[in-house]
Amino acid sequence: MEIKKTAIAGTLESSDIQVTVSKGNDGIKIDLTSDVKERFGKNIVKTIEEIVNKFGIENINIKAVDQGALDCVIKARTITAIQRSLGTSEEPDWEVL
Amino acid sequence: MNNLELRNLNLKDPDQFEQWSAFLKSLGIGNFSSVETDPLDGTIGLFENNQLIATGSYAGNILKYIAVCNKSSNNGALFNRVISELLNILAQKDIFHVLVFTKPKYCKSFEQVGFSLIVKSDDAAFLETGDQSITSYLADLPKFKDTEKIGAIVMNANPFTNGHRYLIEQAAKNSDHVYVFVVSTDKSLFTTKERTEMIKAGTKDLDNVVVVPGGDYLVSYATFPAYFLSYENDKIVYQTTIDALVFKQWIAKQLSISTRYLGTEPESRTTKIYNEVLEEILPPDVQVNVIPRLCDDNNGEIVSARTVRLAIANDEIAKIKALVPPTTYDFIIKNKQVLQDRIKKGMKISGN
Repeated sequence: MEIKKTAIAGTLESSDIQVTVSKGNDGIKIDLTSDVKERFGKNIVKTIEEIVNKFGIENINIKAVDQGALDCVIKARTITAIQRSLGTSEEPDWEVL
Repeated sequence: MNNLELRNLNLKDPDQFEQWSAFLKSLGIGNFSSVETDPLDGTIGLFENNQLIATGSYAGNILKYIAVCNKSSNNGALFNRVISELLNILAQKDIFHVLVFTKPKYCKSFEQVGFSLIVKSDDAAFLETGDQSITSYLADLPKFKDTEKIGAIVMNANPFTNGHRYLIEQAAKNSDHVYVFVVSTDKSLFTTKERTEMIKAGTKDLDNVVVVPGGDYLVSYATFPAYFLSYENDKIVYQTTIDALVFKQWIAKQLSISTRYLGTEPESRTTKIYNEVLEEILPPDVQVNVIPRLCDDNNGEIVSARTVRLAIANDEIAKIKALVPPTTYDFIIKNKQVLQDRIKKGMKISGN
């Protein structure tokens, strides 16, 4: 699967994460901004990567701005951003969930 | 935060404008001249008990007039909410690369919501966020060996004249390679696409010239906001300082550009100040080489794009032939009606 168009999901409000996905050409690149990056940065990146892998996407740029989101929120926002980008928001990919 | 209400503000409505401007004034922003407010595409406000407590606007992909009530205990959350709402509005318009010019002391707030600082002067900071960055912009441009002599010119070419051609020729003679950066702001009589094509067509024979887009990184007077500055008169100095810093710290550095070529500017005050700021900021990293302007053989006047635009407006096309390369002349002949219609519809032609 390939990301062609940029899409965004989530907000910058407390306990949320804003995920922007866009076309990449150099593997899975994740740029994370988070106040808790030092402690939880690796976990957040891993959670996002797992979702990307489930979609079978090999090249993607992801910008994630975290405001202390829980794992389930990170997953949900990442799935929504990817589906918006792929134009498949109307037909959720249940296997990814 | 529960009883917060988000509203779109209509600044054309006198009552809403009054409430909005009074709120900003209370926070030290006092410039509401039409130059600043007319370009705004939209404004949002957060209200608590009908009281405006946070606001933000956008013009194209630039965020403006961001302000949050400083009496509120949760102003950090309000700031995040405003930025978040604005980014989502822009995303719906397929705008994902977003810029902001602000006071240096607000850099941190923007960085916390994912913005990256591009450059900072004493008076202003320039930040960006989204699906592009100055790094990705520069990565997409052609590169040359840093042992070679690399020159650069920035031009609007509205339209491309013999004067522009002359400046590029001089740079090409003195360099192994020359980048010509085309100003990407669409506020000119000729569109960015048209200007780029005219430059490419008019320099086809010069093998060491490469024409590239300026992207969002040639900071334009047309889009640079002044509302947050204390002295509007100095807007041009602030804007050109930011522009010069972007060129020096990013563009020239990454592309190994050693010389920036400029034309002398006897007529336009704006361009004169711009040149002065560049000469102050760029050296010693980047040499500034000022080339005297080409003069018309017939009357000794300098060749200027403004003269060409005026001739188009006055339907004196014959005057143009001596001032522009054949490629530009052909383009103007072919598109005369379209260009004159744009002028009739109010496109300004007298500026730079």
